[in-house]
Amino acid sequence: MSFFARNALIALGITVAIAGTVAYTVNYLNRARITELVAIENQLSIDTLSLETQFSLLETAPCDSVASSSVLTNELADLGDRLAYAEAQLGKNNVQVMQLKKQYSLLEIRDYLITKKLAAACGAKPVTVLYFYSNSGDCSDCDKAGYALSYLNTTYPALRVYSFDYNLELGALKTFITVNKVQRALPAFVVNGKHLYGFTSLEDLEKIFPKGALASTTATGSTSSPQASSKP
Amino acid sequence: MVWSPDVYIYPFLFLALYFESFLLVTFLSKPARMRRLKTAELSVVPNVAIIVPCWNEETTIAGTVESLLALEYPKEKLSLILINDGSTDGTPAVIDRFAEHPQITTIHKENGGKFTAMNIGIEHAKDAELIGFLDADSFVAPDSLREIVAAFDAPDIAAVTASMSIHKPITLFQRMQYAEYSLSITLRHVFASINGLYVAPGPFSFYRRSVFTEIGLFKHAYLAEDMEMSMRVQRAGLRIGNAIRARVYTKGPSTFPKLLTQRVRWTTGFLRNALFDYRDLLGNKKNKVLGMLVLPFALYAVVGGISLFVYGLYQTITHGLHTISMAQTVPFSFLFSWHPFNWFYLPFTITTLLGAALMLNVFVWMMLGKYLSKTPGKLVLNIAIFIVLYGIVAPVWLIRSVSDVALGTRTPWR
Repeated sequence: MSFFARNALIALGITVAIAGTVAYTVNYLNRARITELVAIENQLSIDTLSLETQFSLLETAPCDSVASSSVLTNELADLGDRLAYAEAQLGKNNVQVMQLKKQYSLLEIRDYLITKKLAAACGAKPVTVLYFYSNSGDCSDCDKAGYALSYLNTTYPALRVYSFDYNLELGALKTFITVNKVQRALPAFVVNGKHLYGFTSLEDLEKIFPKGALASTTATGSTSSPQASSKP
Repeated sequence: MVWSPDVYIYPFLFLALYFESFLLVTFLSKPARMRRLKTAELSVVPNVAIIVPCWNEETTIAGTVESLLALEYPKEKLSLILINDGSTDGTPAVIDRFAEHPQITTIHKENGGKFTAMNIGIEHAKDAELIGFLDADSFVAPDSLREIVAAFDAPDIAAVTASMSIHKPITLFQRMQYAEYSLSITLRHVFASINGLYVAPGPFSFYRRSVFTEIGLFKHAYLAEDMEMSMRVQRAGLRIGNAIRARVYTKGPSTFPKLLTQRVRWTTGFLRNALFDYRDLLGNKKNKVLGMLVLPFALYAVVGGISLFVYGLYQTITHGLHTISMAQTVPFSFLFSWHPFNWFYLPFTITTLLGAALMLNVFVWMMLGKYLSKTPGKLVLNIAIFIVLYGIVAPVWLIRSVSDVALGTRTPWR
């Protein structure tokens, strides 16, 4: 074998080794991300079940579980951020990410329901925002709407924002959409039962919030979402 | 794995990585190691002539000549031939100041282009066994000629190149070139060890006199006479060596327009010679290193450089438009608010990791070039400037060169 051929082959070996190591590292990191997402979601499932059980046990004093509810919704927001990043990295067709997204949506719905129950039992008036988006390329304003909601979430922690992928194949979500009478005109917002379709500006979005809702800084928790929290 | 524009860039990254791997293997191989270990002890001291063609170089020619006169080489064995190629500034007067020096011959001629001046010099260097050339804006280290002569250690070594660096870099563009030249020192050293050079640059390259009688004198060659001569040497089956510790310092273009003109001249010269006049060298199996690796990769560097630039531009515009769009939606401060570190969000992709590995390799080659050639200067700062500038300015001359070659546009010297 000639000197050139020998060096060329060794160089090819080194190149394949380096490229392989890089590909393995990226794949390893992505798998580690999925593992972490699974761990967080499992913990949140337990926490949600715990909160619901706590709520049932404390029928005489249900408001004692409000603090737990706030912690849970904060953790839900963090999970939403991570899911958004994982979806951007691995793609919306990644089976594991989609599975996790469905579980996340279920957790959001359960948190939304328990928030309503707590509000009714404790006389609180939380501002809840249901936000429906699409990642299928059929919603040109969803990106802006997501950023606007992330901004509102960060600026006004009292808000409870629940974001849902309208196209997610999940029975409970379809029912949730039907129950809340949300049409397929995305982005769609339901703020304390009031509907708004499309997004033009942050100011227009703020107009549908109840008076004083965007002045309070009392944190009762808020959730983020895979789409809403995808700011850089 | 999600589809993204990154996928288009993977082949370029892989090939660049392969090139750097080949560089590493060859750097560690015996021929390159032996070259680095070789000392400048001369068993024979041949007659040497150094030709300095100059055209409007009144500010630098004196320094160039003085650095040549300071060379550590027996005076009776070294002659200098200064050729004024029809300068219109004070160059003739400066040259004439050296006319009485016993080692120096001065010649004035009508302007005919650099290659004509070099050829007249060759005709006047009848006693020289080795003939070297030095641009009139360059300066040499005192021991550089001994290093060069020592590198002519085999009969088939027809030419020897030096290690070039930028003389006193001041402007950002000169500093960028300083880092770039440091990389070139390593590249030239490695590829010379396996006869893969296709250019012996103007500053301080030497030839055996017999080369010119065998394969002829310099030609116009699209204003790339040094490159054309080297390709002719390679076509003749001869070798081009390198003396890594032979240091020569050249004045780098100080501004972008000057740099652009120089690089377009070099790149169009390369493309026209490699693709038209010396196409037979591409894929040539007689010299596989040159024909199957160096020349294809040099062409690939032009295509790859433009492709990477287009990719980067696409990404920048896409992200820029997105940021502008978002900045119109939410306050600007929110977009760039600080977030605590979390490994989950590390932007580790195949593109970023391979890109980082390639850049790291380049920096190591630059540092090795400076270290092995013992070139003075501050490299780290200049590497930082290189990082910021090179990716923006190099594609400009690459695109312009490809366009000029495609359209047949004539390239000016300055």
